[in-house]
Amino acid sequence: MEKNEDKNPLKHNRRHFFSQLSVGIGSMALGSLLIPDLFSSSQKNVLEMPLGIPHFAPKAKRVIYLFQAGAPSQLESFDYKPTLRKRMGEDLPESIRNGQRLTGMTADQAKFPLMPPAVNFNQYGQSGTWISDYFPHIAKIADEITVIRSMHTEAINHDPAITFFQTGSQISGRPSMGSWMSYGLGSENKNLPSFVVLTSRGKGNSQGLYSKLWSSGFLDSKHQGVLLRSGKDPVLYLNDPDGISRSDKRHLLNEVSQLNKLHHVETGDDEIESRIAQYEMAYRMQMSVPDVMDISKEPESIIKLYGEDCQVPGTYAANALQARRLAENGVRFIQLYHQGWDQHGNLPNEMAGQAKDVDQASAALVLDLKQRGMLEDTLVIWGGEFGRGNYCQGKFDPTNYGRDHHPRAFSIWMAGGGIKPGLNYGQTDEFGYNVVENPVHINDFHATLMYALGLDHEQLTYKYQGRRFRLTDVAGTVVKDLLI
Amino acid sequence: MKDDTLYRLLNYTMLALSVFLVFCLVFQSYITLPSLVSWLGHWHPVLLHFPIVLLILAIFLGLTGKKVPRLLLAIAALSALLTAVSGFFLGHETTAKGSLLVWHQWLGAGVALTAMGWYSLSELDVKPKTLLKVPLALLLVVIVITAHYGGMLTHGEDFLALPKSVREKQIPENPLVYTDIIEPMLKDKCVGCHNPNKQKGQLLMTSIDMILKGGKNGKTLVPGKPEESEMIKRLHIPLEDENHMPPEGKTQLTDDEKEILERWIALGASDKERLSDLIEPEPLIGLIKSMMMGDPMSKWAAFPKVEDSVIQDLATNYLSLNRIAANSNAISVDMFKPPTYDSSVLVNLQKVANNIVELDLSGIPIGEVEMNLIETCINLEVLEIDNTPVTDKEIKKLVNLKRLRLLKVYGTAIGDESIATFESLPELKSLYLWETNVSRAALADLYKNRPDLQIDFGLGMDDEAPVEVP
Repeated sequence: MEKNEDKNPLKHNRRHFFSQLSVGIGSMALGSLLIPDLFSSSQKNVLEMPLGIPHFAPKAKRVIYLFQAGAPSQLESFDYKPTLRKRMGEDLPESIRNGQRLTGMTADQAKFPLMPPAVNFNQYGQSGTWISDYFPHIAKIADEITVIRSMHTEAINHDPAITFFQTGSQISGRPSMGSWMSYGLGSENKNLPSFVVLTSRGKGNSQGLYSKLWSSGFLDSKHQGVLLRSGKDPVLYLNDPDGISRSDKRHLLNEVSQLNKLHHVETGDDEIESRIAQYEMAYRMQMSVPDVMDISKEPESIIKLYGEDCQVPGTYAANALQARRLAENGVRFIQLYHQGWDQHGNLPNEMAGQAKDVDQASAALVLDLKQRGMLEDTLVIWGGEFGRGNYCQGKFDPTNYGRDHHPRAFSIWMAGGGIKPGLNYGQTDEFGYNVVENPVHINDFHATLMYALGLDHEQLTYKYQGRRFRLTDVAGTVVKDLLI
Repeated sequence: MKDDTLYRLLNYTMLALSVFLVFCLVFQSYITLPSLVSWLGHWHPVLLHFPIVLLILAIFLGLTGKKVPRLLLAIAALSALLTAVSGFFLGHETTAKGSLLVWHQWLGAGVALTAMGWYSLSELDVKPKTLLKVPLALLLVVIVITAHYGGMLTHGEDFLALPKSVREKQIPENPLVYTDIIEPMLKDKCVGCHNPNKQKGQLLMTSIDMILKGGKNGKTLVPGKPEESEMIKRLHIPLEDENHMPPEGKTQLTDDEKEILERWIALGASDKERLSDLIEPEPLIGLIKSMMMGDPMSKWAAFPKVEDSVIQDLATNYLSLNRIAANSNAISVDMFKPPTYDSSVLVNLQKVANNIVELDLSGIPIGEVEMNLIETCINLEVLEIDNTPVTDKEIKKLVNLKRLRLLKVYGTAIGDESIATFESLPELKSLYLWETNVSRAALADLYKNRPDLQIDFGLGMDDEAPVEVP
């Protein structure tokens, strides 16, 4: 793969001219002898690092991100707060809220009565991880996963929050993290995209998903996430129309490629090369995609493991099984989105349903990867875009309440891929409102994820509009405590 | 004559310098230097190269019986005197002179004055023919010793010591945090200047008691409070700042080392604590562990070099070859099932057999030809031949893979015969062995003989509980 420098001689601009001029002049060379740092750019390493190869030996080779879109409540899943029961109905103390802004949905509430979870919690495994009864299967793999209860973000509404999680910026337009990984690590299997997206939807209150979340932004479009749809056409327009044979297609592609190459010589536009490569890949995907998507050969034991739902295309369980098959076939970044976690009301009921959708298949995926020896180098992540508030939204009813958005603290879990198993990381206060120990910001999360994949988040950059961009932009610290 | 004026000037300068040098040495404990003079001392490291080279050249000419040019000897002696004087200024900045510095000072002054004496004799035309050679040889020895002491002062006493073997550096299994981690780190990066010979800032860092005692700037180490400890504060001052430690130009601490130091102080700077005393999620645990493991890439450092073009030539649309990391010659190979399989693409890998550390042939219809290749991949650490037609006969070919750490053979027709091979692989840690013909009895044996081996027999067998796990 190439660095984002223009190699085309026609596109020799003023900056190139001056930068090359400076190298050639002897007096300047002398200057650089006397002052060693005179010409060396501070990003020297960036230019030396080849793309498409990890910067150092990686722990993980791929990521399966089980994104729970809409933000599942941490207080009904992984962050057990008995104080909420003890002080049920009391107003959220201002010392705890501490000026936290609220969404328009609860900002006008006269009171913020503390609401305990309507579900029981138990401790599981050697690690003693607290997990609610909504997630009985995940509870069984408590010692495989590491729960981070101290995630926090800056956004308070779905779109900026999910955009922040996916791209490192609340404002859309930056490349998705899957695209960054594809850019940094290259593809493992040339017959499949290196970044694949699968979506499913539960019965709970949903928020929209947009293709901008898996867009490659300013990176080459070959790094864009490819949405695999359920049903007979997993990739739209991939199949040949009736009456076109595979050899006809081959001829067509050869001719088109010739024309495109001519055009590339003329204009030097790298997107043309990218397009040629994509046509070729699409041709191979006509064979490889149906093969990967076909679960008919999966044995009964696997169907049982993921749950009967996994035979119904488009469900979360089917996508989870699909994710394993894609991982086996060398896809670098597999992102699932399960919609329906936005419980502003009717939380106990809706959340139980959402959890039922994902619980068994999520745990099954971890176990299935483990028995195949793939958990070692596959990082599985489960979580939403932010957390939910500890006070009741709407009418106070402990059996039927809602929770508003909450950015200051929420929980996610990770498994495999160089992450310590069975760790409970980070703490929130007794109200589950603020992080009091080991906070992990989205930027830190990205930095850590990249580190596991063998990438230095400060080194993987792309120059666009006059400056170098990173997934973590100007922030982010690797949370080494989480890594083996 | 012009020449005479020059030499007269030189002679007077040298005489003055000699007298000044002797004066300095005699009254050194009474002298305080103004800062500009101290600054002159900073030229010592520049000046010292002249007398070393010029004097050795002159000595060489003298010993071989050639005529030593007047100007050469004059400049050699002058530079020796200037070096000695500037060295005195530099040394005077150190309040407590260690024995190394004292020796360096007196030997250096000796060299300068001897050179001056030699020059004076030749000016006076005293030429004891053969007798001269003995003192010259002695002078040569003294120059070498002085220079060596000076080098040790700047670069540390063991700078020229032979490299220690890797064994010696290895950190023990359950290290003492101070003795095995912190102390060697300080020795590497700090003790060079804060030792009894130099004692910069009146600080000794040779033992924990000395560090606690501190230097002239107070609390070097405040147990439990890294933010108040001078030794941590100074790590974080910008490098350009003169208070930054270690000074610009010296080897800096790595980010991990800084963090280890900080955490150790935060935890109370104990010299008794062991790694096993720390409780998760203490960051120090991970930091020390990664230090103990060392660079995972180093084990591949001796691999033969592979050009990018070779890798590109061997790869196909269905066979991907990737370097494990940038600048590494270790390669991982992945094969994806092509529409028509031809074993030649794999056989071609022979060229890079020694570089392959990971080989994934899951689901590929491999047989004897491919196994012959695998047999020669002696650096292989991860091998995936699950869901392939391999049998016991092919597994026998794995006996030479002494570095194999992970092996996947699930979904194959192998049987009990292969167990002996698995047992013989010394580095094998993980074995994925389900949906095979291996009997429970054989598995139980394997368990018994290789308790260090993690065997995964898949989820399907869970209900049956095939083997009593000890």
